[in-house]
Amino acid sequence: MSFFTDAMVRVRAMFLRETEERELDDEVRFHLERDAEERVRRGVAPEDARREAALALGGMESQKEQVRDARGTRPLEELASDIRYALRGLRRNPGFTLTGILVLGVGIGATSTVYSIVHSVVLADLPYPEPERLVRVVEKNSPTNIWALSTADVVSIRERQRVFAEWGESTRREVALSGTGTPSRIVVSPASSGYFRAIGIAVAKGRAIQPSDETAEAPAVAVVTDAFARRVLGSADAALGRVLTLDGVSHTVVGVLPPGRDELGGVRSEVWPALKLQPIVRRGPFWLRGLGRLKPGVSLETATADLARVSAEILPMWPDFRDSTAKLTPVPLREVIVGRSVKQVGLFAGGVALVLLLAIVNVATLVLVRASAREQELAVRLMLGAKRGRVARLLVTENLILTLTAAMLGLGLAFVGLDLAVAQLQSMPRIQDAALDWRVIALGIGAAVVSGILVSLSPIAALQGNTNLASHATGRRTDTSNRTSRMRAAFVVAEFALAWPLLVASGLLLSSFVRLQRVDPGFDPRGLVSIGVNLPSIRYPNDTTVFQFRARALQRLAAIPGVVSVGLADDVPPDPNHGNFDNFNLVHKPVPDGQAEPAVPWYYVDPTYFETLGIRIVDGRGYRSGNTADTLPMVIVSESWAKQFTPGESPVGRQLVQGGCYDCPRTTIIGVVEDIRNLGPALPMVAAYGSLVNNGTRSVEILARARAVTPSLLQTMRNELRALDPELPLVETVIADKVDASMADPMRWAAVLTAFAACGMGLAALGVFGLMAYTVRQRRRELGVRLALGAAPSSVTRLVVSRGMKYALIGSGIGLVMTLLFVNRIQTMLFGVSPIDPATFLAVAFMLAGSAFLASWIPGRRAARIRPMEAIGAD
Amino acid sequence: MPPESAIVQRTLEMLVLKALSLAPMHGWGIGQRIDQLSKGAFQVPQGSLYPALVRMRRRGWIKSEWRVTENNRRARYYLLTPAGRKQLGIETDAWEKASEAVNAFLRTRTLEDTP
Repeated sequence: MSFFTDAMVRVRAMFLRETEERELDDEVRFHLERDAEERVRRGVAPEDARREAALALGGMESQKEQVRDARGTRPLEELASDIRYALRGLRRNPGFTLTGILVLGVGIGATSTVYSIVHSVVLADLPYPEPERLVRVVEKNSPTNIWALSTADVVSIRERQRVFAEWGESTRREVALSGTGTPSRIVVSPASSGYFRAIGIAVAKGRAIQPSDETAEAPAVAVVTDAFARRVLGSADAALGRVLTLDGVSHTVVGVLPPGRDELGGVRSEVWPALKLQPIVRRGPFWLRGLGRLKPGVSLETATADLARVSAEILPMWPDFRDSTAKLTPVPLREVIVGRSVKQVGLFAGGVALVLLLAIVNVATLVLVRASAREQELAVRLMLGAKRGRVARLLVTENLILTLTAAMLGLGLAFVGLDLAVAQLQSMPRIQDAALDWRVIALGIGAAVVSGILVSLSPIAALQGNTNLASHATGRRTDTSNRTSRMRAAFVVAEFALAWPLLVASGLLLSSFVRLQRVDPGFDPRGLVSIGVNLPSIRYPNDTTVFQFRARALQRLAAIPGVVSVGLADDVPPDPNHGNFDNFNLVHKPVPDGQAEPAVPWYYVDPTYFETLGIRIVDGRGYRSGNTADTLPMVIVSESWAKQFTPGESPVGRQLVQGGCYDCPRTTIIGVVEDIRNLGPALPMVAAYGSLVNNGTRSVEILARARAVTPSLLQTMRNELRALDPELPLVETVIADKVDASMADPMRWAAVLTAFAACGMGLAALGVFGLMAYTVRQRRRELGVRLALGAAPSSVTRLVVSRGMKYALIGSGIGLVMTLLFVNRIQTMLFGVSPIDPATFLAVAFMLAGSAFLASWIPGRRAARIRPMEAIGAD
Repeated sequence: MPPESAIVQRTLEMLVLKALSLAPMHGWGIGQRIDQLSKGAFQVPQGSLYPALVRMRRRGWIKSEWRVTENNRRARYYLLTPAGRKQLGIETDAWEKASEAVNAFLRTRTLEDTP
């Protein structure tokens, strides 16, 4: 109540200042008149009475001042006058103001954008209840070799673990969706009932997967996302009870996830069928993601120990798997989801921090230059009795107005830029949640306030050191203040130092990118097209029907005019996410007991695959087709495989145990083929190719090499396959596009960092330009005298340029050392280029020196054109 | 602000509250009324009166309005608010307690005083 009245009185005093003053005037006048009358009544002469009354009140003006103080609006009024004064100052100097706002605005905009990305991708909590208790469980036998769980693993964990309150599994699979319009292929995530309980998210409609759904006899059911329900089934309410045909099997929709939930536990999927486990016959294959919710109070160490015990108990149960170093290992779910992005996001964050720092230093330089130009004005103020604190506050106010305006601009830029950035970086998990929330706005404003204060420090320090007031007040611009000029030079040096790491990092990423693009994929992608099919088991119940479809499809496609060659494979290159890695053990060179068997990407191809891709067979032979088809277990390996596992000898004719199946017949190596970049340009080319001839997988890619890929060709191919099976979803891939897409991420990193580096170099150049232009203005008189005394104009230019270059060189020296200290951190993001690549460093040095030269040459030229008489006469 | 002790300020405010508790009055009148009521014992320092009135207004003890005086002149009159009336009670109690305590203290006879 009292606080409220106080505020009201103050606010009224503030905003109705005129009224308040007039009232005060009236009140005091009334008092004086009334008092004088009283004195007259008591016999004082009228002229004395007035004077006495005024005296008694203690002077009319001083009384008013005291009343004004008592109103408690003094600090506010002073602030208002500071702001008015600052605005006038900023308006008078539009060049300075606009440059400052733009430079800092871009800096703050970039920082806010990157911060919202960092927040959503790395910092934000996982969107589940008590997310810190969630762990992903993996098989692990070395810090880098991590793989999924097998059915045998999860069954043992379910029976034996003592650390999880809830436990569940999921996997991912691409299936054909039919029965809801055009057949299409979608990714589904079969999950157990425990997976839903562990993650702790309830469905919004219907029910979640239950244990009774997981038995072999139970009718197939699925939970779908809200988005899928709306997009495919009409609405969330209409979804319940609808039937989805997944790979020919009817699934009834029993539940719908809450809106906005498009991933669970780091798995993004629109359809979640109930997971049904098959009877276990051996330890492998490894295909499941385990998710556990730790019991309250159970630490990661306890869980690790408990799962190690389970691993030891499983090992003797399955003789096909002999790796005693493989342990079931819990990894915090957060680490699994966030871990991969930390490096990339860290690079962006580091880059943007440097840009912001550069922007602040740049504005600080501008402010300091401007403050020197105002030395005279400030000195006069000080001489006239203004307190230093008051003048300092004026400077801070002015700079805060500048930086806060920049923050507004920056947040505006971030508002636009964030959508662009998110669209560019879509492959990053959780980036969709990036938003300009209160944190980002607080960060932007915080950055503005901090930089406002930081940039004020230098002119205030200059003010403190400025004892020689008289010389400034007289208006002689002698620039005696060594302190400010040294500070300005230091700023410019700092800018060049800060630009170094930015330019080097972007240079290295760019040259990595160029090298990546030059990498020979090992095959000619031009003219290659692939159509992926997934044959539903309902209509293709056995191998015979599958083989029949494949043969007919190949026949029809090969007959299309313009198609040169056709082939089959279970995956098409380049695919960095190729999921099928199989372990093997060479019969003639087995790994020592208890050690992990090597695992390599395993592809399945038909006899014409190598020919269609243009891969030569360099040793042994390829697969045969027709009546002489190979039916025994066989494998063809890549040259890199041969170099790694059978160095110095031909692997042809050697045998191996595949997938840990010691009871199965041995697999014979029949040939060696040229390396291709199966996993993409940056990854090793070790590969094994099994035969599709006796592998009845329903999911294959049908490849065709044509003289040219045209829309009509694709249409013809589609028509041919539809003629075979009209309900089959077809997924086309133009291989050349896929090769390009594998470059997308490195290109984005390079592009973003190059943008930062360009900002950095621009800011450094702007800094040296500003300083040299200012120096030339300051030393106009001196330079004029030099010219008058016969100095060649070119020598004056040289003087200015050499000064600018000196700062750039000192800054570069510091920057070079700084960069060398940190550059190793980006090693893992580089390809084919050393982090201390001399060419990159040289190029950076030349670019910075060049920009410094240009930036100081322009004011240097101006200096050479000074007219001596005007310059000397000017003061 | 003149160097004015908290005690003086608080006493002045108490006197103003007392003066206004009788009837609304303008600034000059408040000074006069205190003079009369105290039979000349308190000379209100005129220079402190107006700042004190502003402070009290901010605390919500009094409010002001412009009225016409008996001599047909416009003057700013101050009125006691309910909060001000309550404050007057608090101040009076506090004053009585304090003055009693001070009086008791001053009346204490020490050994040396005893004849």
